[in-house]
Amino acid sequence: MATTTAAVTLTSDLMSTNMSVSASTTCMKAGTTADGLDGMEYGYFDLVTGDEYDLIGATPTASKASKLYLKNHSTDETYFVAITQGTQAIGKLYGGDWMFIPADFHDAAGEIAITANGGTNKICYALFHEGITKDASA
Amino acid sequence: MATTATISISSDIAPGFGGISESMNLTQAGNLTDIDSTTGFSIRKLSTNSAVDLITMANELVEPKDSVAAKIFIRNIGHKGVIDKSVGVTIGVNSEPIGLLYGGDWMMMPLTCIDADDITATPATDDTVVLEYVMFYEEA
Repeated sequence: MATTTAAVTLTSDLMSTNMSVSASTTCMKAGTTADGLDGMEYGYFDLVTGDEYDLIGATPTASKASKLYLKNHSTDETYFVAITQGTQAIGKLYGGDWMFIPADFHDAAGEIAITANGGTNKICYALFHEGITKDASA
Repeated sequence: MATTATISISSDIAPGFGGISESMNLTQAGNLTDIDSTTGFSIRKLSTNSAVDLITMANELVEPKDSVAAKIFIRNIGHKGVIDKSVGVTIGVNSEPIGLLYGGDWMMMPLTCIDADDITATPATDDTVVLEYVMFYEEA
């Protein structure tokens, strides 16, 4: 079984008692307890201001247990990418920000798109999945 | 007043993949000032398979600023020490399903904090499951 593990440590002193949370999960296929995700896509690219880009080129199997990591590696904190899923705005990742989400890809409108703002953003992403549908060769 | 999140991903799916290890300081939009507000750490026990709001943006006591640098952390911690990785809770934004958090899974996601963009949770079954979550945001 392929094994993918994602761990996070989150600390904050915004509350009167400092918060520290650590979590780790092994990424399994949907509905299973013994079979890990076995596909992945990993990339790094520049995205010019104003460009909107469907992050995932091929459609992962819908409504499974895919996980998506995305980081904006821009060193300018004023640069950001806006994240949308279909027509729904999700949020913005400024230079240095990352996100890690379960990605449903429930249908063609469920694809995740990013739009660059402020300048040329440098984006790194990794998608862990359990199968994708490749486009047929033209 | 610093809030920091560090992620480490390891995987043997692809030969040669060296893993990911990255950290971020949660700052306000467009500058290096630390983010200044939080909901605090909360848990929510769910026992039916109907959708509930984890965060109702319009009801926050401290109004979040819209469309900036907010983030939310959510984790499915199972129930009473039992973590079932075969069932999950669909997390959504304004009814748009983002994905399923299976037992033990966690997520960190940026948010708009626009009033309509509530964060929803819909368990796949009526088995009791607990989510823990915290939102960081800028005060409007």
